[in-house]
Amino acid sequence: MNLLQPVGVVSFMALSAVLFSLGLYGAMSRKSTVMVLMSLELMANAVNINLVALSRFTAPVEMTGQFFAVFSMVVSAAEIGLGLALVLALYRQRQTIELDAMQELEG
Amino acid sequence: MGYIIAIPLLPAIAFAIMAPLSNKARNRAVPVSVAAVVIALGLSVAAFLAVWPGGHGEALYHSSATFATIGTVKLAAGILLDPISATMVVVVTLVGAAVQIYSIGYMHRDRRIGWYYAALSLFTAAMLLLVLSDNFLQLYMAWEVMGLCSYLLIGFWHEQEGPRKASIKAFLTTRVGDVGFALGLAVMYVTAGSFDFSVVLHDFAWAPGAATAVALLLLFGAMGKSAQVPLHVWLPDAMAGPTPASALIHAATMVAAGVFLVARALPIFEASGVALTVTMLVGVTTALVGGLLASVQHDIKKVLAYSTISQLGYMFIALGAGGLVAGFYHLVTHAFFKSLLFLGAGVIIHAAHTQDMREMGGLAKKMPVTTVTFTIGSLALAGIFPFSGFWSKDEILTVLWHGEHYIVFALALATAFVTAFYVARMWFRVFTGPEQTSGLKEAHLEMLVPMGVLAAVTTVIGFGSPYFAEFLGHDGEWPAAAIALTSTAVAGLGLALGWWAYGRRSQVLNTRPLKIRAGWVYSALSQKLYFDLTYDYFIVGGYTRLAEALSGFDRTVVDGIVNGSAAIWRTASAVGESIDRVVIDGFVNGTATLVRALGARVRRIQTGRVQSYQGLMLAALVLLMLWFVVKGA
Amino acid sequence: MLLSAIVFLPLAGALVSALLPKERAGAARWIAAAVTAVDLALVAWLLLGFDVAGGMQFIENREWITQAGIQYHLGVDGISLSMLLLSALLSLIAVIASWKQETKLGAYFAMLMLLEVGMNGVFLALDFVLFYVFWELVLVPMYFLIGTWGGPRREYASIKFFLYTLFGSVFMLVGIIALYLQGGTFDITALTGMGFPATFQWWVFAAFFLGFAVKVPVFPLHTWLPDAHVEAPTAASVLLAGIMLKMGTYGFIRIALPILPNAAEQWSGFIAALAVISIVYGAALAFAQTDLKKLVAYSSVSHMGFVMLGIASLTPEGINGAIAVMFSHGVVTGMLFLLVGMVYERTHTRVIEDVSGLSVQVPVAAGLLAFASFASLGLPGLSGFVGEFLSLLGAWKSAIPAAWVVVAAVGVLLAAAYTLRMVQRVVLGTPSKAVEGISDLSVREVVLLVPLVALTLGVGIYWDSLLRYVDPAVRATLALMGGS
Repeated sequence: MNLLQPVGVVSFMALSAVLFSLGLYGAMSRKSTVMVLMSLELMANAVNINLVALSRFTAPVEMTGQFFAVFSMVVSAAEIGLGLALVLALYRQRQTIELDAMQELEG
Repeated sequence: MGYIIAIPLLPAIAFAIMAPLSNKARNRAVPVSVAAVVIALGLSVAAFLAVWPGGHGEALYHSSATFATIGTVKLAAGILLDPISATMVVVVTLVGAAVQIYSIGYMHRDRRIGWYYAALSLFTAAMLLLVLSDNFLQLYMAWEVMGLCSYLLIGFWHEQEGPRKASIKAFLTTRVGDVGFALGLAVMYVTAGSFDFSVVLHDFAWAPGAATAVALLLLFGAMGKSAQVPLHVWLPDAMAGPTPASALIHAATMVAAGVFLVARALPIFEASGVALTVTMLVGVTTALVGGLLASVQHDIKKVLAYSTISQLGYMFIALGAGGLVAGFYHLVTHAFFKSLLFLGAGVIIHAAHTQDMREMGGLAKKMPVTTVTFTIGSLALAGIFPFSGFWSKDEILTVLWHGEHYIVFALALATAFVTAFYVARMWFRVFTGPEQTSGLKEAHLEMLVPMGVLAAVTTVIGFGSPYFAEFLGHDGEWPAAAIALTSTAVAGLGLALGWWAYGRRSQVLNTRPLKIRAGWVYSALSQKLYFDLTYDYFIVGGYTRLAEALSGFDRTVVDGIVNGSAAIWRTASAVGESIDRVVIDGFVNGTATLVRALGARVRRIQTGRVQSYQGLMLAALVLLMLWFVVKGA
Repeated sequence: MLLSAIVFLPLAGALVSALLPKERAGAARWIAAAVTAVDLALVAWLLLGFDVAGGMQFIENREWITQAGIQYHLGVDGISLSMLLLSALLSLIAVIASWKQETKLGAYFAMLMLLEVGMNGVFLALDFVLFYVFWELVLVPMYFLIGTWGGPRREYASIKFFLYTLFGSVFMLVGIIALYLQGGTFDITALTGMGFPATFQWWVFAAFFLGFAVKVPVFPLHTWLPDAHVEAPTAASVLLAGIMLKMGTYGFIRIALPILPNAAEQWSGFIAALAVISIVYGAALAFAQTDLKKLVAYSSVSHMGFVMLGIASLTPEGINGAIAVMFSHGVVTGMLFLLVGMVYERTHTRVIEDVSGLSVQVPVAAGLLAFASFASLGLPGLSGFVGEFLSLLGAWKSAIPAAWVVVAAVGVLLAAAYTLRMVQRVVLGTPSKAVEGISDLSVREVVLLVPLVALTLGVGIYWDSLLRYVDPAVRATLALMGGS
């Protein structure tokens, strides 16, 4: 692989894939709810990178991807705020934030 | 003559005023009732005097008003004043006034005296309406109202069992007769088309068959009211009521209403012929049975009650022999002397605190006025000259002799003998012998005066007998000497026997000569000849058992059919339901079971862990991607 | 318009009272009292304008369902007038008697008023369809009155009542349809005197007989009556015995006799036999009862037997007597049920053995109960006597065998037996445990009974106060039959 090659779309997508996989692994394996939330954030940012990169390399004039990325970041911010608030509330009620402690929906 | 209507109306108004009052106010309203009957007495005397000189059986005053219209038939209520009714109103109001005044003293301690007077007033009104009526329907209606009053007064002391039972017995027994009366009215209406005396007794030509039917049915009614055998059983029990009420209702007036009815309807009886014979037979049986039963009673009121039955039988004998005057005259004299005896008995009971003659004795010394009046009444009842009973009884015997009813004549004489015997038995037991009660004293004035008046009437009224016959429109004669002597001799023998058995050794108490000498006769008589027992067992008991059996029948059979058909329907629907359950529900339930079984398996993947869901989602995503890859999208 | 107003005014009252909000339900009492009182006033006004000799009057006749020839046809004659008066009066009394009702007031009073609509309608309708509608309408509120506000076995009683009477009226409907197919109209007056063939008449009469006889009720179709009465609340008992039973006998007089005269003559022997059995059987059963309400219920069977006897006689005396018994029985039995209800409210028992000595403890109630009892046993001077006596006269005059009439007359004696036994135990004697300490009637309760007492006395003493209205109508009915 030629490291001096100009940075192309493939590099961005590779970065995005690595980030997504890290996030997915974290979401699947961490016991702490906060950690799971952070992993979710990683996955969302992987998607954002893809959006911006693909937009920049395929349709630079319209900037659709950038718009969606900004949009997505706002939503993520709101989501993480809500999520953390829920975690806080759960902690107050149960003195724990471990995911395994929450299985009320078992059928 | 319009004031005649006021005679029955006054006591009726007194009742209407008193009945709705409260008990206390009613007790204070007693003078209303007394005033009404006294004024009615005055009017009655005026009416009687208006009729008296004209006399000869003609009606002097008649007025009527329609109260019901059915098709072309008009039913009217009316007032008819003729010699019979004129005499009766005087009898009723005189005895009524005497009893009401007497009761002021007799009942003054009772806390329901007002109600007592109200009932007396209603009774007087009904009786007056009855004697003044111009048709049989009105007579019947008044008749029934009297029955109600009798019921109310017999059961006046209803807190006790005895009066309660006696009152219901009296009402029902007389009503047995009333069923006959009502049917008689129906036959009369269908045959003659009217209830009016003018039509039924004068204008209509009776066929013997119809006349017999009507007459016998009316007679049956009269037998109930006048306590004739076999419907006599209620009268002795009726003595459970207050004594003055017994004097008015069960001695002088109401029980005589049956005699009055037969006397009024005599033309129908004569048209029948057979009915007259039956009347005479009923009368003679009753006269003898009543007299014999009176001879074994120990209760002074029951002696008088059986004596009343016996004397009423005498009146029926006379009417059965066609002797209207004799029968009716005996009714009048009997009303006076029997009410006199009852009022005297009331005083005696008050003084001696018992009704049992075995516990009385020696009253003559302490109660002179009562003794005199009671003796006058007793002699009149026994038929001793010159007291009223002598005259009327002799007229009856004369009628029988002239009618050639010799057997009945003999039996009537025998009755006279028995009558004299039990009168003597009663008199000696009560008035002679040793005193058994302390504190005997004479009654108050308001009780003595009525007795005095009745005693005076009893003493003098007999001498009017021939005029009375003329007054009623028949030929009047003095009694034949031979018959008078015979009857007096027989009565004297009876009195003598009574004295011999009860008066001679009156210091020996509780003697029962009859029981010692003729035990089986005595026991039959003391069991009232088994009438009451028979009725109780077969009629009252039988009906009660029948009613209960029918009640069971209704529940099990009649209602059972209904419930049974409901049960059949229920069974049918149960069968339908099981088909429903097995086939249709089976299909539905099967589906449900299947779903549930599947669910039990699927639920295992529902762990409740977020991360296992994530894993599933990932797996699903991978599979989906694989699908697109393989398919080559 | 007057008749329509009389019939439908209570309907308006029922609607208003049913729609009252829950917290205002107490107003239903006043609405019901006002409506029934106005209705009674309207009937009184009708009475004033009524022409005794005028036959059917105040007629309203409009097209209703033109395609089927069904008309809205109302009219009143002396017979229906007497029943209408009874219905309006007893409805008002029933409302006031229910003053202390507490549960579901709006619905309760709505049902009472709805009942009045049906009863008034039955007595005024002159069209078969209209008649049938009102006839069935009566069942519904009565079913709910017994089933909702009744005693412990109310469900059994109300269902039994409903099915029994429905069973009868289905046959009546068959009869009505048969008459329509044969006569071509539903108009009752038009169908009279049409002279249908004898066999046809016989069968149609049979159908009507079943319909009416259940309602009367005639032995052996009577067993719904005691159950219904025992479970029904007082007001419903009053209306049931006072008016609904009369609907059956009214049907015989208004419909069966004039439309089917030949059949009526053929059936009269059978009806008379059943009537006599009802008289004696009802009296015997009343004698055996231990429950006051059951006693009065069985006595109704006995008294209604006199009505049927009078009708079966087909004579002016008998039918006048039948209507007089209907009227008197309505008044007197109404009184008895009211009094039994009042006693029950205080002592909480209806067992005859447990209640005694009322006259000592509560003289007013006892006096009125005794009065009603004597009126019921047919004491002359009170209304009960008038009809029973006339029925017997009519029966004797007719072709009914004399022996049966004698048995019926014995029924009068039996009536005295069960009534007096009740009076002896309940009214007389010393107060029993249940009676001790109870209070006498209130002013409201006495006011309730006074008009009934006055009617009992008035009709009993001056018979024409009732018969002057009834007799011309009876003669007209018999004239339509072509007899007498």
